[in-house]
Amino acid sequence: MATATRFRTLKDMPKEDYLSPGNTLCAGCGGILALRIFHKVLGPKVAWVNAAGCMTVSMSYPLSPLKSNWLYTAFASAPAGAQGVRDALDVLMAKGKLPASEDLKVVVVSGDGAAYDIGLQSTSGAIDRRLDFYYLCYDNEAYGNTGFQMSTSTPYGSSTKTTPATAAYPLGNTARKKDLFEVWRAMKAPYVATLANSHGLDFLRKVERGSEIKGPRLYIAFAACPTGWGFDTRNSVEIEKLAVQTGVWPLKESVNGAVRHTFVPRALIPVSDYLKTQERFNHLFEPSEKTEAIDAIQESVNVYWKEAGAREGFEVKLPGSSSR
Amino acid sequence: MKGRLLTGNAAAAAAARLARVDYVPAYPITPQTEIIETIADWVREGTMDSKFVQLESEHSMMTAAGAASLAGARVFTATSSQGLLYALEMLYNVSGWRAPMLLVNVSRGLAAPIVLEPDHNDVLAARDSGFLQLHSETCQEVADLVLLAYRVAEDKRVSLPAIVNLDGFYLSFTREPVVLPDQGKVDQFLPPYEPVSPLSASRPVARGSAVMEGFVYSYFRYNLHAAALRAKNVFNEAAGEYEQLFGREYGPVEGYMLDDAEYVLVMSNSFTALGRQAVKRMRERGVHAGLLKLRMVRPFPTEEVAALLRGRKVVGVFDQNLSPGLGGIFYSEVAGALYHVKNRPKAILPAVGALGGKQITAKEMDSVFEEMVRIDRDGVTPSPMFLMRDDELARVRKAVAIAEGRS
Amino acid sequence: MTVRVRFHGRGGQGAKTASRILGNAAFNDGYFTQDFPIYGAERRGAPVTAFTRFSREEITERGFIFSPDISAVMDDSLIADTLANPFSGLRRGGVAVVNTTKAKGSVVPGRDDVKSVCLDLTGQALKTLGKPVLSAGIAAAVARISGINKEALLTAVVDELKDIGLSAEMVQKNVGFAAAIYGELSPLELKTEELDAREELVPLAVVVSEGGIEAVTQAGNSAIRHTGNWRTFRPNIDYEKCTDCMMCYAYCPESAMAVGPDGRVKIDYDNCKGCMICMVECPLKAISQTLEGGA
Repeated sequence: MATATRFRTLKDMPKEDYLSPGNTLCAGCGGILALRIFHKVLGPKVAWVNAAGCMTVSMSYPLSPLKSNWLYTAFASAPAGAQGVRDALDVLMAKGKLPASEDLKVVVVSGDGAAYDIGLQSTSGAIDRRLDFYYLCYDNEAYGNTGFQMSTSTPYGSSTKTTPATAAYPLGNTARKKDLFEVWRAMKAPYVATLANSHGLDFLRKVERGSEIKGPRLYIAFAACPTGWGFDTRNSVEIEKLAVQTGVWPLKESVNGAVRHTFVPRALIPVSDYLKTQERFNHLFEPSEKTEAIDAIQESVNVYWKEAGAREGFEVKLPGSSSR
Repeated sequence: MKGRLLTGNAAAAAAARLARVDYVPAYPITPQTEIIETIADWVREGTMDSKFVQLESEHSMMTAAGAASLAGARVFTATSSQGLLYALEMLYNVSGWRAPMLLVNVSRGLAAPIVLEPDHNDVLAARDSGFLQLHSETCQEVADLVLLAYRVAEDKRVSLPAIVNLDGFYLSFTREPVVLPDQGKVDQFLPPYEPVSPLSASRPVARGSAVMEGFVYSYFRYNLHAAALRAKNVFNEAAGEYEQLFGREYGPVEGYMLDDAEYVLVMSNSFTALGRQAVKRMRERGVHAGLLKLRMVRPFPTEEVAALLRGRKVVGVFDQNLSPGLGGIFYSEVAGALYHVKNRPKAILPAVGALGGKQITAKEMDSVFEEMVRIDRDGVTPSPMFLMRDDELARVRKAVAIAEGRS
Repeated sequence: MTVRVRFHGRGGQGAKTASRILGNAAFNDGYFTQDFPIYGAERRGAPVTAFTRFSREEITERGFIFSPDISAVMDDSLIADTLANPFSGLRRGGVAVVNTTKAKGSVVPGRDDVKSVCLDLTGQALKTLGKPVLSAGIAAAVARISGINKEALLTAVVDELKDIGLSAEMVQKNVGFAAAIYGELSPLELKTEELDAREELVPLAVVVSEGGIEAVTQAGNSAIRHTGNWRTFRPNIDYEKCTDCMMCYAYCPESAMAVGPDGRVKIDYDNCKGCMICMVECPLKAISQTLEGGA
């Protein structure tokens, strides 16, 4: 898709904000930053359909930080809510009961708990029906709203409230992060992309690109979570940058199934540089360094980039294991 | 004979078409499926101007239904039994949104064990959800109550979703003559839906926001309750107009041979027909029997129940449902309605029966009236009846023996 | 008598932990004790409330403390915050313990019947702990005022902070912090009296007379929340150095930056939460920070 972009530099980010100041999310929240940027590209005519999560409680009556429409549904069924809104608008316009100028872009916004776990059935239905909607998942890799419990998006080696690192379980969570990008791609969603706030131009262009496509579109926005991950709020964007530069969070998109990495690091920074920035990985370094686990994380990143490079014809210089 | 032969399911679908619904999100479940099949057929043939979408679960179906209603569409959907329970979380949301969509529930007993025939534990599980509930005895009533329900639900004084209930098999698959109202007159009775604060590009709105304090929550819950209570008068108003237009009269409750009745049985839904027969038989035996049918279940017609049951000798409540550890659900509600009535009946007999569509014979039905008479005569405290016959017990014992390898 | 303490803090300052340290300290000192937080939708930086009750007799109260004997305020910006309203119901003869550098003398507007205790806890916490975490300090202040034994307090500090996963080193620093605050104060007489209640019940008919459908039709009205109160640090743009590259604007999660007609970025201090992402992301180091309310 080689269409002209209206975003040449980050300075082209639209100056209109549809997110008002005064939300109740944590200072430094990567999730609300992603929503803000996303909304700028979509413009004002949006219906956000929400599943339970941090954003839900940011909309606390009688205040609304959004200048657009908001509908909280339930934890499990936001995509079905999007279906209802989309269908209602379509049928009312078809019957001449609603002018086309009143049309809305319908966007599901949820955290990873809804997107990866409890809402996956509803998501699958919406994809199968080729529902014309966006899904913005702010992925902070755990159930953040309830205090940081493990989700199937939680990465290997992360401590969470339900997978705490203890003497008997020194690594915290030992399940691998679910690959939601590939789940959507396997279901033939026409557009799937990952986002990082730190790579703003890439972010803007992907939302722009997805807007030219009809059907189910997923955006997984890496959402640094100062409260859950344990870091100073000021480093929120820097930690996302590190996730991209270490290769932990690949920036990519899939257009009708064809995957392209939109940012290919020349040389990956060792994952430990990323892991060390967050308390959720403290136990991998203290009281003693869990070299094997860190190497395993590095190795899975390396394998990922080797395979991606082989498929797409690029080469990434990989760091060695930490023991070397 | 006027009208034409329609099943309860067909009557529900036909009424939805007459209501000119915009949107029908659906999911199959026995014994409701015929409703959505019929509508799907009409939509695809172009004889019904609605959008039909099959969802992937009842939970999603109800989410889509409520969301579409908030976006300004008139919405119809249907489910049964497990499906209603699977959607139950969303019922509370949709009523909290004050989205006036209509759900037809075709009653069926709940698993486990799995059963296909009706009782009312499914629809009564939704009794606290904030949905209005109208229950039907005949296929004609199904069609009429669907139209009445839209009119009441969408009234700005109410603005609440509604359930119209019909019994699986006994109505859903039973054909009987139904007079379908004339479309022109229906349009006159049911004006286009005007949503309150819909999702809108020009006037954006936040719906379903969190409230973080109990007093704010209480305010909206009290308002929901008040709207549900107002629905009764709005229903009466609409039913008056409906009678003028279509000649059929509907109230929140319906009495049968009540004038001089001393022993009155309270019933609901299709098995009420069996109660009516029992009343006739008891009358032939010289017993002053009568019957009170609950048509409106939410709001609960407390005043009507009290007015029509005061001064009776003994009241019986036939519950086709069971709250384990309590008994019948309607029993508690009827007893509550009667407690402060001055000349209240001297006793209220709880009778549970017809669970999972268990057939009820004349003898069983009569036994409830006979027990009411005995309680009156002997002045004894009623003990709850749970209807079951010896032939049935013998059969079930045989089945248990086979299942456990003891036969 | 029962001593009722209401802690007011901002998310992350340790109000809940303070209520627990105090509860644990009172328990160690042989009192009947209750402690509990209330959870709202609020996040790090937003107002948080937690409670402790202790008494020599069995406690028969439960739930929200409407009439505290002691209001412990961990952030002086909460005093004017109508959502937090930290002195509401404070009993006649009660005590307001406030972490502040600004206020001196009486901190409770219009109430000459209450005592005020002003402390610079943030300053001391930054000095001893390196972080503005105040739980041990504020709990120590309340414990001392209400006559709880020092050993009972310090044991509680260790237990509670260990329990939330602090390192042994940080726990010891907090013990030092608590001991220092405890040493600064002396017990106060807590002879208090409940304010007259002026509430009246409203009949349902009145409550439900206005429609009552929940809908925010003033979409985007949240700016009146003024989350600027949440700030610990305040970002300052040096417009001499700023080249209008818009990096800070792009990465502000709050929409608390706007581009003016002159093309320059302006910070909305009413709502900036002070996350300081802008300072880190500014390529020219044109944004600096100052401690709010601090020296």
